[in-house]
Amino acid sequence: MRVLFLAAVVPGLLSCSSPGTPPPARRTPATHTVTIEAVAYAPQTLTVELGDSIVWVNKDPFPHSVTDARDGFDSSSLQPDQRWTLTPTKTGELTYVCTLHQTMKGTIVVR
Amino acid sequence: MKVSVVLVAGLLLAPAAGAFAQGVDDAQIASIVVTANQVDIDAGKLASSMGSNAEVKKFGQQMVTDHTGVNKQATDLVTKLKVTPKDNPTSQALKKGGDENVASLKKLKGAAFDKAYIDHEVAYHQQVLDAVDKTLIPGASNAELKALLEKVRPAFVAHLEHAKQVQSSLK
Repeated sequence: MRVLFLAAVVPGLLSCSSPGTPPPARRTPATHTVTIEAVAYAPQTLTVELGDSIVWVNKDPFPHSVTDARDGFDSSSLQPDQRWTLTPTKTGELTYVCTLHQTMKGTIVVR
Repeated sequence: MKVSVVLVAGLLLAPAAGAFAQGVDDAQIASIVVTANQVDIDAGKLASSMGSNAEVKKFGQQMVTDHTGVNKQATDLVTKLKVTPKDNPTSQALKKGGDENVASLKKLKGAAFDKAYIDHEVAYHQQVLDAVDKTLIPGASNAELKALLEKVRPAFVAHLEHAKQVQSSLK
């Protein structure tokens, strides 16, 4: 985690030391989709960049949830065809579960 | 289309033992799916109202919600496919077994009710899973019906795991 933080900071410092150099272009945040279907998250593991958003879409005919395994975020009950969006604010690995179906687990890796 | 299916002995609980037998066609599979879900909805309604343990009540309510959703999807599909669910010995045995289970549960209260309900749920989901794997999926000739069965199968697995967990917590 610390290495990732430094890697993000160093280019910024370098750009400050060269006033004539234009700053690197900012990446447009992406939106990723995780489909909930057949009592599973697909993809089960998703890697995103900090600033990106993840949208979960429930394609099953009954409710599911997207709940942080460590008591952080919680979509609460997502009804069929309902969507829920999360935009992580920190890098790291987020493990989440469905509180209604304990066989369901997913991971978001935020770089 | 008829298929030859190996007799699966004891697939259902005692009153409906051997219900998932014989060859089945798509119309019969549709009836079996709807009945199997309805049986668990009926028991779940009872558990959500008569259960004394909070986890048992919650599990019962979830069975009502999930199996109602599956039944809606199954009904929508067979309507689209113009398949009329056809009553058959398997669906009749399922219904009979379900009715007998509900009648038996209604005579119980408190912890005895909770235990009987959840024990039945563990056995029922295991037996339905076996039937899905050995009879219904292999027997479905329509690709969409087969896909629906394959898609809802994990729900039965999750329910079975959940029921076992609740069962352990009651001991």
